[in-house]
Amino acid sequence: MTENDKHTLLAAWLEDSLTQAQRKAFEQLCTEDADFALRVEMAGRCFSATESFTAPAPPAWNKSATFTDNASPRWYQWQGLPVASMAMSVLALVMVITGFRVEVSDSRLSLGFSERLDAQEVAALVEDRVDAYKQANQAVFRDYADALASQQRQSSAELTEYLLASSRKERREDFAELVKFINQQRSDDQQFYARQLHNLQQDVSALEKHQSMNPLISGGDPLADE
Amino acid sequence: MFEVRDERLVKKALKGDKKAWLTLIDRYEKQIFHYAIRMTGNTHDAADLMQDIFLSVFRSLDNFRGDGAFKAWLFRIAHFRCMEFYRRKRPEQGLDDTPEQPCDKPCPEMHLHGSQQSSAVVTAMQALPLAQKAVVELKFFGQFTFEDIALQLGISPNTAKSRLYSALARLKLELE
Repeated sequence: MTENDKHTLLAAWLEDSLTQAQRKAFEQLCTEDADFALRVEMAGRCFSATESFTAPAPPAWNKSATFTDNASPRWYQWQGLPVASMAMSVLALVMVITGFRVEVSDSRLSLGFSERLDAQEVAALVEDRVDAYKQANQAVFRDYADALASQQRQSSAELTEYLLASSRKERREDFAELVKFINQQRSDDQQFYARQLHNLQQDVSALEKHQSMNPLISGGDPLADE
Repeated sequence: MFEVRDERLVKKALKGDKKAWLTLIDRYEKQIFHYAIRMTGNTHDAADLMQDIFLSVFRSLDNFRGDGAFKAWLFRIAHFRCMEFYRRKRPEQGLDDTPEQPCDKPCPEMHLHGSQQSSAVVTAMQALPLAQKAVVELKFFGQFTFEDIALQLGISPNTAKSRLYSALARLKLELE
């Protein structure tokens, strides 16, 4: 029998848990192995000693001194609160830096660190932006066209007015000059006729005078020489 | 009379109930003091050790999970404090070393109070290495099973059995 078996047997005996076979082996060891028997006897003496052991009563001592009020702190005094607070701050920083996103759409919760959108979202986003851009452009163009048309109308009116006014004045000036020219022509004509008549009158006067001075000639035609 | 369970007293003490803590001390003071006498061999050191044990227990009270008996947990701390006591007293001596001076002679009060046989056994225990003395103390005086002893001392049950086996031979020698 090994030493370990002896330890086990003695331990089982001390705890009163020997099986039938172990009890037989134990009893055999007690009779055959003096060393083992001595240990068993010593164990018995120890048991007896515990039963008869009496010791002086504990001395008077300050039991209250062992009590320090370490009552559980309130929840707001929890020691882990600063650590938890710092951990949350670090977590928030990490979430910001890594672009952590939480999205709820169409009864779907998405968590992710990527800022990349899926194709559908990108298309919708682009479409929205293009629509907005188109509407803004249309509004600008509409305003511009309105302004241009208005300016054009105004310019046309001004031009028409100018043209009408200028043509009227020119015609008036032209007529005035025509009248002036005609008047001048008439005046020239009158002067010419007057001069012709004067010359004729002089010629006639001269002939009359000549005839009166030369009666021989009076039978002839005084104007035939001329 | 109905006695409040240890675990309930521990919870109350943790909430700041001084009376509950003092009740716990009263309940185990004698056992711990006697344990300390047997481990140190004299009442003066035993009184110091007892106070040290209760201080340590109170400081560690919130570590008590309540998944085992309070008594076992208490004696586990007592053992650690006892080892610490021996380390302070004899820094050069290991747990498995036999004391150079066989014993700190039990004080005369021991002989006055105890029977001759028990005094002799306690005196002989002082000659054992601390590791063996702890097993003898817990097995015979503490009435713990080998499983509990192993748990308290942080060793395997087989080691505990082996230490007791060796301790019995040594005690026999000391008593002869």
